[in-house]
Amino acid sequence: MATVTEIPLDARDDGVRYQRPQSIWRLMMRRLLRERSAIVGMVILGILVFVAIAAPLVAPYEPNQDLIGVEDVDRRDGPCIHLLGCSEDRPQHLMGIDGNFRDVFSRVVYGTRVSLRIGFITVGFAIIVGTVLGAISGYFGGWIGDVIMRVLDVILAFPFLLLAIAIVSVLGPGLTNAMLAIAIVTTPQYARVVRASVLSVREMDFVEASRALGAGHASILFGRILPNALPPLIVQSTLGIATAILDTAALSFIGLGAQPPTPEWGYMLAEERNQVFSAPHLVFFPGLAIMITVLAFNLLGDGLRDALDPRLAESGVKH
Amino acid sequence: MKRKQWRVVLILLLIGALTLVACGGATQDPTEVPEEPTEAPMEPTEEPMEEPTEEPAEEPTEEPAEEPTEEPAEEPTEEPAEEPTEEPAPEGDLLSVVAESCDYGGKILSIEAVDPLTVVFTLCSPDPAFREKIAFTPFSVQPMEWLEETGGTGELLEHPIGTGPYMVQEWVRGDSVVYQRFDDYWGEPAIAETAVLRWATEGAARLLELQSGNAHYITNISPEDFETVANDPNLQILEDPNPNIFYLAMTNTFEPFDNLDVRRAVAMGIDRQRIVENFYPPGSEAASHFTPCTIENGCEGEPWYEFDPEAARQLLADAGYPDGFETTIFYRDVFRVYLPEPGIVAQEIQTQLEENLGITAEIQVMESGAFIAESSAGNLDGFYMLGWGADYPHVTNFLDFHFGEENPAFGDPHPEIYEVLQEAGGIVDPAEAAPLYEEANNAIRELIPMVPIAHGTAANAALASLEGAYVPPFGAVEFALLDPGSDTLVFMQNAEPISLYCADETDGESLRPCQQVVEPLLKYELDSGATRPALATACESNEDGTVWTCNLREGVTFHDGSAFDANDVVASWAAGIDASNPLHTGNTGVFEYYAYLWTSLMNMPEESE
Repeated sequence: MATVTEIPLDARDDGVRYQRPQSIWRLMMRRLLRERSAIVGMVILGILVFVAIAAPLVAPYEPNQDLIGVEDVDRRDGPCIHLLGCSEDRPQHLMGIDGNFRDVFSRVVYGTRVSLRIGFITVGFAIIVGTVLGAISGYFGGWIGDVIMRVLDVILAFPFLLLAIAIVSVLGPGLTNAMLAIAIVTTPQYARVVRASVLSVREMDFVEASRALGAGHASILFGRILPNALPPLIVQSTLGIATAILDTAALSFIGLGAQPPTPEWGYMLAEERNQVFSAPHLVFFPGLAIMITVLAFNLLGDGLRDALDPRLAESGVKH
Repeated sequence: MKRKQWRVVLILLLIGALTLVACGGATQDPTEVPEEPTEAPMEPTEEPMEEPTEEPAEEPTEEPAEEPTEEPAEEPTEEPAEEPTEEPAPEGDLLSVVAESCDYGGKILSIEAVDPLTVVFTLCSPDPAFREKIAFTPFSVQPMEWLEETGGTGELLEHPIGTGPYMVQEWVRGDSVVYQRFDDYWGEPAIAETAVLRWATEGAARLLELQSGNAHYITNISPEDFETVANDPNLQILEDPNPNIFYLAMTNTFEPFDNLDVRRAVAMGIDRQRIVENFYPPGSEAASHFTPCTIENGCEGEPWYEFDPEAARQLLADAGYPDGFETTIFYRDVFRVYLPEPGIVAQEIQTQLEENLGITAEIQVMESGAFIAESSAGNLDGFYMLGWGADYPHVTNFLDFHFGEENPAFGDPHPEIYEVLQEAGGIVDPAEAAPLYEEANNAIRELIPMVPIAHGTAANAALASLEGAYVPPFGAVEFALLDPGSDTLVFMQNAEPISLYCADETDGESLRPCQQVVEPLLKYELDSGATRPALATACESNEDGTVWTCNLREGVTFHDGSAFDANDVVASWAAGIDASNPLHTGNTGVFEYYAYLWTSLMNMPEESE
């Protein structure tokens, strides 16, 4: 693992300045914890992860359970919260009832699982493929690198969502295919980030040293170069999760992503879009959930970027 | 020098040849076969079935002198203002379309222009709903020359030429259809000079356009918006009296729907009352029969199965599916009176199938045109949700269309149903036909090609300031009768038309825009299903109801300035009903209404019969 050096701000009493090696990750965490927005992002994300894991405990109903004959509710009833004055006679539904007599809060809670899964799996796939392609392209260069990057450039030349729609149209509608499509169209971003990092790291002394010591390509690439190329990838992936969630919601909204009755937020929005005036709660809460989740990842991503880029930190540039 | 002389000779020859070609205007280009339709199939030739389609390209040249309208057909619309009328076809050039015999199974034996203003329909058997059927928009008339010029497709799909009060000015794909008033209309001219047809699939979007004054009239307000519209003094609510049916269909050529027990299990395992109570506007009802009871003879026979999930599960187990099976529910996301919220109802049916029968159904939304094409052809291997709004007030409109011998939408048609319907369809007296419809309805209940779910109610809405706003029980609103108080009327419907050649369309969103432009021989009254004269002043039958003579209106002109006559009627009908006619192309080539309402297309190629 490579290290970075930092001159401590507090010199010892004896006046001797010394350099103590520090792990990049520890340094990153220290800087990250100084970023207020990142902390907010992490807190929100923590809550979301908890809600996703504990959905059966948090949600009062199954996400697809209709309440016809179970409770005395009307279709598309608004929220009823006893603490806020809703009659005790009426069953409590924090976010109201949807068009199929289902509890919206339960669906939004279970939707957290779906959306986080979408984000992590999509970006995970894109990172793995993008990293391999970017690393090979950057490390070996030559015609292999050129071919890989030109193919990825072609993908990048298309508008993301349009290309994703085209891919889903070919593969068929569905959440899995939508995730695959988003992963495919975002892969070039990760490949480019990794390639750029590899290009800068591969000429460093410690890589040369490894090479001189007789290390193989795989050892150098995966043991020396890639770990040092990770920080920008982490920033990119954190922001990418937000984009993936948004894009998948968009695909679901137009009927190409999640299929009914999956409690996916984009699909929930689409399903009740006609009721935006008569029952606004049905589009407000799924929309709010998307917004909060995307915001959390964006805040965290910005914080990570600031934490991992010393130049930005020193110059005081904020994003 | 010699070479130069040869050149001069060649040039002179070329000029001479060009001159001859230019003078011989009637000469036909053999490569333009689709644009030079033959009329041979429409003529009462001795051997019409011999080779109906094999050599159509050669037929026009066989008797060019007898082709009555070749030259006008070449450029029928170029200068309509300067050549406003074309004399009605002289006797001797009168067209007809004839089936070899009634053995082909269809209702119509022949359609003949016996004089320029008289058309005779000869039927193979009496049709009690003949007048009501011919008043339907797909049987409207366009100029023979325009049909020939377009080859029955192409520009015809976007630019119909009719006799109606409006003519199509422009169809901006994805946005609107703009109509211009036809000043030479034979009847009362349209009130608004311009009519604009727009569309929005979302009910909320349509209502918003109405509330903001961007539209004068909108179709199918959402059930949730009934109250909003009723309470708004600037709006008027217009109840739609059109009888309809929403059904859950199964195609019996696919497993497991080829098993009657499976279909019966589904019929008993769907709680239809729950669907109607929870997902339909007030006034809707669970269907006891396929045909609404407001249609005479519609409700003869036993009512549909009671909801019995236990018996249904047992039936499913007996059929070899104790744990249910996996399938798909197909639908199109289009608002219809019979199905106001397709996505919501699809999920309800999905839930019921899972809970009541253990059937796991994936929901798949299809594009509207593709859905209609696939379901009509019997290509959907799961459940599909579809419905029907009455086109004309007769039980045949519901039963004959759906359960006729030629309809593959539910898989293989059942002779137990269609044979009875064919017999009943030949009886003019409703009371006499009642026992047969009872038998047919019982056979439908027994064989379960689909599960009738609901008869829905719906309403349109208009600005309170729009005068003359109405909803006819049959056919579409006539824009010409609406008075917006300004030069432009904006009408908003649920979806974009598929095409404007409605001989080959079934979708209501296409039939409505067509109806403003083209006219059939008769029309429906504005407040009932009774017919009134349109392009025909009267259609009368002989004693046994097998020969109908329609006297055409004099002095009617098409939008291109040409005169309307009996040949136009025969040519328009021939393009739809005669499968061997070179103009039988259209948008899909299926011509569903011709095939189903008249039981079969005539002169079908052998392989597709």
